[in-house]
Amino acid sequence: MTKPMTAPTRRSGKDTAKTAGYYSLLWVVAILFFLPILWIVMAAFKSNTAILNTDYLFTPTLDNIKSVFDRPNVTSQFISSLYLSIGSVILAVAVSFPAAYAFSRWKFAYTDFLMFLLLSTRMVPAAAAIVPMLLMFNLFGLRNPFGFFLLYTSFSIPFSVWILKGFIDGVSERFDETAMVNGASRLHVMFKVVLPQVKPGLVAAFIFNLIFVWNEYLFNFSIGSEGVRNVPYGIANGLVDSGGNVDWGFLAAMSSLYLIVPMLMIFLFQRYLLVGMTFGTVRGDV
Amino acid sequence: MTTTPISTSDTELPAGPGATASNKTKSPKKSKSSASGHRSPWFGRSLLAPVLAFFIALNVIPTVWMIGLGFYKYTLNLGDPRYVGTDNFTDIFTDQELWGAFSRTLIFMVSAVGIEVSLGAAIGFLFWGSSKMPGRRLALTLMFAPMVMAPIASGQFWKLIYEPSFGVINDLLGKVGVDPISFLTDPDWAFRAVLFVDVWMWTPFMILMTLAALGSVPSAELEAAEIDRLNSFERIRYVIWPNGKFILMLGVLLRTIDAFKTTDLVQTMTEGGPGDSTEFVGFALFRQAFNSLNLGYSSAVALVLLIIAIAFTSIYLYVLNLSRSK
Repeated sequence: MTKPMTAPTRRSGKDTAKTAGYYSLLWVVAILFFLPILWIVMAAFKSNTAILNTDYLFTPTLDNIKSVFDRPNVTSQFISSLYLSIGSVILAVAVSFPAAYAFSRWKFAYTDFLMFLLLSTRMVPAAAAIVPMLLMFNLFGLRNPFGFFLLYTSFSIPFSVWILKGFIDGVSERFDETAMVNGASRLHVMFKVVLPQVKPGLVAAFIFNLIFVWNEYLFNFSIGSEGVRNVPYGIANGLVDSGGNVDWGFLAAMSSLYLIVPMLMIFLFQRYLLVGMTFGTVRGDV
Repeated sequence: MTTTPISTSDTELPAGPGATASNKTKSPKKSKSSASGHRSPWFGRSLLAPVLAFFIALNVIPTVWMIGLGFYKYTLNLGDPRYVGTDNFTDIFTDQELWGAFSRTLIFMVSAVGIEVSLGAAIGFLFWGSSKMPGRRLALTLMFAPMVMAPIASGQFWKLIYEPSFGVINDLLGKVGVDPISFLTDPDWAFRAVLFVDVWMWTPFMILMTLAALGSVPSAELEAAEIDRLNSFERIRYVIWPNGKFILMLGVLLRTIDAFKTTDLVQTMTEGGPGDSTEFVGFALFRQAFNSLNLGYSSAVALVLLIIAIAFTSIYLYVLNLSRSK
């Protein structure tokens, strides 16, 4: 434990054996967390008999994966998942940026209160929020892709504002002032001066919220309709076959396929993910 | 947030006589284009408008609606809502089941958050300083996987993993001679089994927050600590904690809120059973609303829970702010 306490880049090549041991330990920890996922991914390539016999060795089969797409609606569920989550998170980040900028620069007396109010939406128990939402969506005919697009956007706004405000606070106001003294407009400052400097924050807000919306199930299940059904709904809905048995092969294949996008995101944008949670205060090595 | 505030003259004050004065003195050049928009509080407020529109339409209105519903007796498919005053709220006080679920949820929340935070902090520390580790990016990706797997799917699959006759855990236990355990149907085990899955799922999140917190410690301060030969404890106490605590505590807060709301894990794995051993408020509420279709009562319960959550969070943020502005 004392080893990693030193500054991250201080590792000399002398004690290579110790270093190798340390890295192996880290790998073991990571793999321990991954094991249950690995078990699910393995099941995606097993026959249902192999799954129920708890076979550790098996002949891989692509039947599960193929049969996933033989089911009706699966393709449309994947498409809904993609456009609902990506579209709504992009919109959320787009409306959150100006708000975060205003919170950061105007220092309204009610900033803290509003920021808290935004976060407080997360405290409403989902099951409680669903009831009025159901009545409201019924009333205004919003149980369609458009309504869900707005709903998921509203899910993603609070966290985006929080992350982005942190990042914009980290950009000195001198930039704004210098630009404006030189005749730039506020909008120019926002989009041409500040925005480029908080790109990591934008990516971080995007990734974080995407992960949350990607797996949203309760609202989709309770108040969705044809056209907004996403993959989590499809997984829950297609789980039990007509005979009343759970189709484990389907569950494993569908959820493994669905895992590809967020895993790729984490792999590709890992830096931003770690940086994002620092709300712009990164100084050391993440 | 804690970055050194480059203090600028108070040119951004929202209103008041001072604002106009500094407006005149500081911006002689930009008089020709949109000068009025530059510092006007109304321009700032208009930037908030889209977010506020979303907030009012999809958060405030439903919440107000929910509060209103709390005063009605309204069972879906059983006629129109009937105003009953505060009856729902007085019912809550005598609802044994609900308060049982409530205390169970608190125990669950405290255990889950406690374990996740300590484990996450320990592993986060372990990973700190491993930037040269071969395949670090892949290792972290694999480790973060549990938190991005759809909970509905992992819940279902854990059911299979826990299954007494063909689940992998009991298969392995059987190999070392342990009798099968019905993790999810044995009242002694179900709570712990759900807790274990929650810990598996969300410890990676706390690892992430710990790494982020550690990343916000300036390397200069760490080098100074090294020169001063501070021991590990002193480094944590004087260098790491003051810098990283805000992020870490925010992680704890988010986890606490979410653990308090735990619904989908219970819904897929145990449906509150066996008996009521895993009946948590989030799921109890879901059942009231969607199985019993008891919309009035569930709204009242939701309001009470919301007030508890807000009270808790305000106190928490207040304390956090106090220690932050030290």
